Amino acid sequence: MRLQLSDLIYLSPELTLVIAAVVISVLDLVLPNKINRTILGWLSILSLMISAGFVLYYMRLLNLSEDPLLPVELLNLSYRVDDFANLFKLIFLVGTIFVLFMSIGSIKKEEIQHRGEYYYLFLPATLGAMIMASSGDLITLYVGLELLSITSYILVGIKKSSVKSNEASFKYVVIGGIASAFILYGMSFLYGMTGSTNLTEINQALQLSDGSFALLIYVSFFLIIAGLGTKIAAAPFHAWAADVYQGAATPVTAYLATVSKAAGFAMIFRLVYLVYLGVGGQQQDPIFLDFFMIILIIAASAMIIGNTLALKQRNMKRLLAYSGVANAGYLLVPIGIGLHSPVPHSSNFSEMYFYLIAYLFMNLGAFAVLMAIERTTGNSELKGFAGLYYRAPFTAFAFVIILLSLAGLPVTGGFIGKVFILLGALQVKVYWIAIIMILTSVISFYYYFSVIRQMFMRTNFEASTDKLNLTTPISITIWISTAITVLLGFFPNYVISYVHEIFNLFTDFLML
Amino acid sequence: MISSYLTLAAVLFVIGLYGALSKKNAVIVLLCIELMLNAVNLNLIAFAKFGINPSLKGQIFSLFNITIAAAEAAVGIAILIALYRNKATANVTEMNSLKK
Repeated sequence: MRLQLSDLIYLSPELTLVIAAVVISVLDLVLPNKINRTILGWLSILSLMISAGFVLYYMRLLNLSEDPLLPVELLNLSYRVDDFANLFKLIFLVGTIFVLFMSIGSIKKEEIQHRGEYYYLFLPATLGAMIMASSGDLITLYVGLELLSITSYILVGIKKSSVKSNEASFKYVVIGGIASAFILYGMSFLYGMTGSTNLTEINQALQLSDGSFALLIYVSFFLIIAGLGTKIAAAPFHAWAADVYQGAATPVTAYLATVSKAAGFAMIFRLVYLVYLGVGGQQQDPIFLDFFMIILIIAASAMIIGNTLALKQRNMKRLLAYSGVANAGYLLVPIGIGLHSPVPHSSNFSEMYFYLIAYLFMNLGAFAVLMAIERTTGNSELKGFAGLYYRAPFTAFAFVIILLSLAGLPVTGGFIGKVFILLGALQVKVYWIAIIMILTSVISFYYYFSVIRQMFMRTNFEASTDKLNLTTPISITIWISTAITVLLGFFPNYVISYVHEIFNLFTDFLML
Repeated sequence: MISSYLTLAAVLFVIGLYGALSKKNAVIVLLCIELMLNAVNLNLIAFAKFGINPSLKGQIFSLFNITIAAAEAAVGIAILIALYRNKATANVTEMNSLKK
């Protein structure tokens, strides 16, 4: 099947970003130096919004009540425009829009000299994430992953004159490169066993194969999950996260913590449920049940290690990095509980998706507050929050709501998201993971509340008595994030029922 | 026939991993990552020629990998140069300014 010119309209969300990235980079080249590069930031946001508009348009077309568009499959099934991809693309685009928005006027000229580059590099990174969500083929999946990874290496090192930023960036290149090599090595075995790079064809070939490939199937799964575990920073593959988050500019850190991580989850979901589900199904104990078990073990270790290591952090960025490790664990639970149990369970995706939305806005809000603190004190130490309540009561109030949501206390989006994941685990009777989840959430209260204690209890703050250095975009980001976190807590059923309505794991995704 | 290619690829991959984790010179670390990626290419080509379902897809996959590995190496070296300008070292054990 060749790509027809008329098929290109289905790629309009991606093509918008491609064209915008090219045009904006040329603009950056030809515009005279005296023109403020902020205009490029606004143009990038505009192109992301247009792209999101196209995604919404195709989401509507796919779900018309009469005569809906069938999921589009391009380039010999290697690129799909389906509800799964569109839902993830919305998360990526909204996340990137907010990351760019809070950087405008907030990033310091002396830190990031090339602000034009800084703004438009987010476009190819998001494009890579979108390709990852849409791929139905190992090659496109890998190209998307590398487009996202390589661009984020550059973004982490964009503070060219800062040693810390250089070092974080180099560490990210090395760890990211090794992780890519692992994923690729696992993919090469998948190709070798089946002779195909298409995900559904691989799955069919693996289901039909006899037991002689069992060892190779295990090897490929271990290699791929180790590589992807590194990309989403799940323990025990999390060691890079704290260093890289600390060295990168704060908006870039927010991008890594939200969009980049969500893209990793899109890829894991596709691989686990399209390639590995049902493998070895004819035997007594099918192999793929072991794979779900492995994912749950990684989830458990991420929750335990992330929450314990966060306890001793004195730097807010490192604390949020370990909190991100723990959250990667929570998000892996719906993937790992699988579909096969005494009770039929198929809401894995909506559980994960809801918590992903909540996680996106909690983190955007937290990093926006951190940016304001960094602008005031010049570093991201925890003691910079001392007495925040007395300096900026409204920001402190919003931040308390975001922290409560991160800790998972009612009534916030984070709480409802965790409850959904927990109920899913209980429904399929995987009790041990539910117990670990509850216990580690209790541990996490300690470090989230130590931040709140800093804000309210410490009045003899030595850090700074200055007024908090807020910019308008940062305040708007903080308040929108807080509002959405609260709204998700009070009206979760709208999101859940919408996702349920348009996405069915069995009919839309597995094509049974 | 195929098993010898796969063994060679596995040996190259493990040598690359060992080097990437243990070498002190940052350039060698980047080279070792390239070695890991090229081991995968060897694997893919072997499967494309001698696998149970020989097809061109493996060779095409490896062409994509070569391109991406080149981009990754370019970015890696560029970052290393930026680091060297600020710190005047290419020794990975001295890259320890990020601590708790």
